[in-house]
Amino acid sequence: MSPNLLQKLRRHLAIVGVLVIAFVLPMGSRTQKSGAPNVTADLPAGPMQAKATTACLECHEARIILQQRLSKASWTKEVDKMTKWGAVVDPADRDALIDYLSSNFSPDKPAQEAQRTSSGKSGK
Amino acid sequence: MNSRRDFLKHFSAAAFAAGLLPSGLTWALPQGQGIEFPGEEGLILRSYRFIDLETPVEYFNTWLTPVPHFFVRNHMHEPSELDATDPQAKEWRLSIGGEVEKPLTLSLGELSKIETHSVVNTLECAGNGRSLHRPQVPGIQWGKGAVGTARFSGARLRDLLQRAGVKPSGKHVMFRGLDEVPGKVPPFVRSIPIEKALDADTLVATRMNGSPLTKHHGFPARALVPGWIGAASCKWLTEIKVLDAEFVGNFMSPGYRLPNQPVKPGDAVKPEDTHPVTALSVKSVISGPIDDAQVKSGRLAVHGVAWGGEADIAKVEISTDGGATWNLAKLGHEQARYAWRLWSFDWKATKPGDYEIMSRATDTLGRTQPATAVWNPSGYLYNAVDQVRVHVA
Repeated sequence: MSPNLLQKLRRHLAIVGVLVIAFVLPMGSRTQKSGAPNVTADLPAGPMQAKATTACLECHEARIILQQRLSKASWTKEVDKMTKWGAVVDPADRDALIDYLSSNFSPDKPAQEAQRTSSGKSGK
Repeated sequence: MNSRRDFLKHFSAAAFAAGLLPSGLTWALPQGQGIEFPGEEGLILRSYRFIDLETPVEYFNTWLTPVPHFFVRNHMHEPSELDATDPQAKEWRLSIGGEVEKPLTLSLGELSKIETHSVVNTLECAGNGRSLHRPQVPGIQWGKGAVGTARFSGARLRDLLQRAGVKPSGKHVMFRGLDEVPGKVPPFVRSIPIEKALDADTLVATRMNGSPLTKHHGFPARALVPGWIGAASCKWLTEIKVLDAEFVGNFMSPGYRLPNQPVKPGDAVKPEDTHPVTALSVKSVISGPIDDAQVKSGRLAVHGVAWGGEADIAKVEISTDGGATWNLAKLGHEQARYAWRLWSFDWKATKPGDYEIMSRATDTLGRTQPATAVWNPSGYLYNAVDQVRVHVA
């Protein structure tokens, strides 16, 4: 790599860096309020995973869903409540979303294993 | 940024902070290491966003719960404009208005000049124990640890209301916090009746266990409504408004209400057949031995905590035989009106085997923990007799 090219590359990277600081970090601080690394969980695989991610995880993380053990009637109420509260669910996807949630998070599934926090200092 | 290497290092840190990495990598944390949460040690992570952290029961061994071990319940995003590293909170103001003669606005400096009062209070989330209800109900699936006890200090709400002069029409007091609401979610605004607001122990608290409130606990000021569900004690308080009626909003109705009569799962409950959840129930929790513990035969202390909201604890009884016989536990000497009591029972576990240990509290109102909690659609106030299984070898 010629010194000239390296210089150009550095300049470009510097611009990208400024953009990251100007746009990405504030966006990050909106979605990750504590400022800590992204340690949120994912929704399970399935045909509705992507749409559920868009609809639900805009406002809260997956753990809030992963820990529920609800009947289909309860999931229906939750989906309709959250849609009223701003979750973007295409009416054509509503029933599939309810099926996805009630089959993955039904009352017969074992309870979710929760993780522990660490304050980041040298242990307890 | 002096070099590409430095830049990439910074970039990946920034990308990591911003959550830009592929989701598979978000689990690339060292095995056995907890999820890093500055200031919060060993808590059970119920949710990262919004922050909901539960205290493991084995931490309930001290009368006051250290702040790093105190449960956190957030409904929304924490206020981004509040900088908890600025102890003066220069931008923050608290307004007092509504049905008052002279509306007023206070800075933190002005608030801290008002006479300070301290209350040791057991703060419990209304949904504590929700995961134990059957059938299951929606909401944060708290185990037994969405509760803790701390010394809260600050101005009496009564003193602030008297400065503003409550009009005779003032019957309820509304609290608004600075939480940031996503989507079209209704704001977390609730109210308490004027009688409770004027109680000498209801505070606008700025300190917890002697230190300024941390951000997770409502910096720079929160309401502290002693003996009542945690949701009454609004965090990041910025507005107090005196109203002529109960506040109308999602977190007063249908949220945080109980049916007047027990209902069956699936029953429709009319709003007029419900009432707001206010004071806590009588309850005890075993903090040791923990569930599924393996212990050596011999003398063993069964210990824990017990509380009754606005009532005092009269007694705690322990059964080591699955509820067939009961013995009185010894109550700890530390006590305050709204605080839990530590308790302990000296168990002579001489015979090896499997045991079901139970604790049952009774308060000065004569309320006793039931064998089965009253089921309700939102899973509030779970307070069944606590139990753990212990294997004596």
